[in-house]
Amino acid sequence: MSTVFFVMRQALTYSIPLLIVALGGMFSERSGVVNIALEGIMVFGAFTSILFINSVQDTMSGQLLLLLALLIAGLSGILISLLHAYASINMKANQVISGTAINMLTPAVAIYVARMLQNVQQINFNNTFRIPKVSVLGDIPGLGDVLFKDAYITTYLGILILIVSTIVLYRTRFGLRLRACGEHPHAADSVGINVYKIRYAGVMISGFLAGIGGLIFVIPTSTNFNATVAGYGFLALAVLIFGQWKPMRILYASLFFGLMKAIASTYSSIPFLLNLGIPSNFFKMVPFVATLIVLAFTSKKSQGPKAAGIPYDKSLR
Amino acid sequence: MKKFLVVLLALALVLPLAACNKDTDPDPGQEDKYELALVTDIGTIDDKSFNQGAWEGLKKYAEEKNITYKYYQPAEKTTAAYLDSIDLAVKGGAKLIVCPGFLFEPAVFEAQDLYPDTKFIILDGSPNDGDWEKEGGPTYRIESNVYSVFYAEEQAGFLAGYAAVKDGYKKLGFMGGMAVPAVVRFGYGFVQGAEYAAKEMGISDIEIMYHYTGTFEASPEAKTLAAGWYEAGTEVIFACGGAVGNSVMSAAEEADKAVIGVDVDQSNESRTVITSSMKMLSISVYDGIEAFYGGTFPGGQSVTLDAKVDGIGLPMETSKFKTFTQEDYDAIYAKLVAGEIDILKDTDKTDASDITLTVTKVTFVE
Repeated sequence: MSTVFFVMRQALTYSIPLLIVALGGMFSERSGVVNIALEGIMVFGAFTSILFINSVQDTMSGQLLLLLALLIAGLSGILISLLHAYASINMKANQVISGTAINMLTPAVAIYVARMLQNVQQINFNNTFRIPKVSVLGDIPGLGDVLFKDAYITTYLGILILIVSTIVLYRTRFGLRLRACGEHPHAADSVGINVYKIRYAGVMISGFLAGIGGLIFVIPTSTNFNATVAGYGFLALAVLIFGQWKPMRILYASLFFGLMKAIASTYSSIPFLLNLGIPSNFFKMVPFVATLIVLAFTSKKSQGPKAAGIPYDKSLR
Repeated sequence: MKKFLVVLLALALVLPLAACNKDTDPDPGQEDKYELALVTDIGTIDDKSFNQGAWEGLKKYAEEKNITYKYYQPAEKTTAAYLDSIDLAVKGGAKLIVCPGFLFEPAVFEAQDLYPDTKFIILDGSPNDGDWEKEGGPTYRIESNVYSVFYAEEQAGFLAGYAAVKDGYKKLGFMGGMAVPAVVRFGYGFVQGAEYAAKEMGISDIEIMYHYTGTFEASPEAKTLAAGWYEAGTEVIFACGGAVGNSVMSAAEEADKAVIGVDVDQSNESRTVITSSMKMLSISVYDGIEAFYGGTFPGGQSVTLDAKVDGIGLPMETSKFKTFTQEDYDAIYAKLVAGEIDILKDTDKTDASDITLTVTKVTFVE
């Protein structure tokens, strides 16, 4: 039984960053701006915040430092996402191209600045953020093993972000306007909504979430940051589509992806799976094959935001 | 918005200038001639492995003897780009060029004729025409201005495996990067070292997990894999694949288990690193340069540096062993020097599962 909990715990290290970044993508796309820059924003958020951790970790450690770093990651994510917003909203540029530009730009910037500051491109950090066991809650059988042992506060932050996102998207005036701008911006404009502002807000939220997602991804994975998040920004896009741009479905999609990723990597320590003699490549394939199958069956009903990817032009109304 | 962009642009222009002022240039010489040069391969000068190890040796000698030195980073990972960089180094006044990595084989093969007055030290490789398609493999030829250095990785791995088992670890793991010859030799040696120690101690319950991740990058997959092994009881993992090691260390920190580093002394990367299976890169580069200035440059030779010449080893000063002592280390090292132990290499067996083991159980993870 403990193996099952172990795999689920590992799955969370994949699922939580995917969930947060995909939710970020959701805000951007539902406002009508396609954001394939998620990968680049993750890199940038991780870069600035790890640099911050690296420079103050001698005097600070633990959860306070992590919270500050998350804030910095989010803010720098917003900063870089503004480039995307400016290009795709004001300049009406092709959103895929400006997103690609950011994906190419940020790893280069991260390497360049890191080498300028410390002559080394990898930025080291000490991981002082892990909570070995949450008192009381960690003793709950099952749930405690999965959620409250070897945990990071980012797991709970991810759940919080999910709840807040759902409420904002479906239960607030802003959420309604955001969705309207992604579906039919001209109609939204006709009733006095400033489409540009709403879209800016959408892209900035996605920048914030992707930025902190980058940091959350890097911390449990390595002992240094080497200007990459290993393609997880693109994976988050797949999660977003798999989750049909809806918060709860995104949660399920990210849990599924995370679980498959975890099984693919840990199967060698699970005797049952090891004895099956299936090569690990098979497990690595599963999430992607499943995505293809699900998309094939649901594509007819697939509900991407209608206006996503189309720059808003007032004069066309 | 416009103002914001202007500020951003201004910053972008100022930042590089600020960098120039900081003067990160490592060259002490005033004139534009650099006698000692190093051309980097895929990695950067700070890859904490090959390039860095070689660079440190070159730098140490140059600073001691007050000789000008410089490194060149090729624009891309091709023989043409390597040759361009070598050409640049020669024009820059280089008398000796260090080329770390087997990727330089074809480049040095051409350069040895193009620049007969320049000396080359190539690490982990021997000059050849790079034509692997050809019947019987590529043509090897080494001129008198080239010194080619290999390392006996299987001995370094052997020491690591031996020390781990001697120190009381029973469940081991080997996680290599890409299955390139050097990594494979490390792995073979590790398995055989564990087996040797187990026989010596008369125990037969050693288990080894064995896997190549296929990359040299840190990834959540590598970390989870390591975490899984640790969870299933593995006590120490020999992380033998560049940044893959950082993922293994991250998993070891969580599980409070141990890691064995590779290539250079990695004890300062994580507290979980109990020892490192080292190739004495900087020493061999240093010695090569010293020989060059002493007029005894060992050109035209291809040597494999092993225990006999202190080419490999474990950093005992920084190692965190419980029971494995310096005496134990010296004893086994002496046996390697004396050639009493026969270690199979990648050229002996094509697959790790072909190695005959009697008391050690190895689980190969595809």
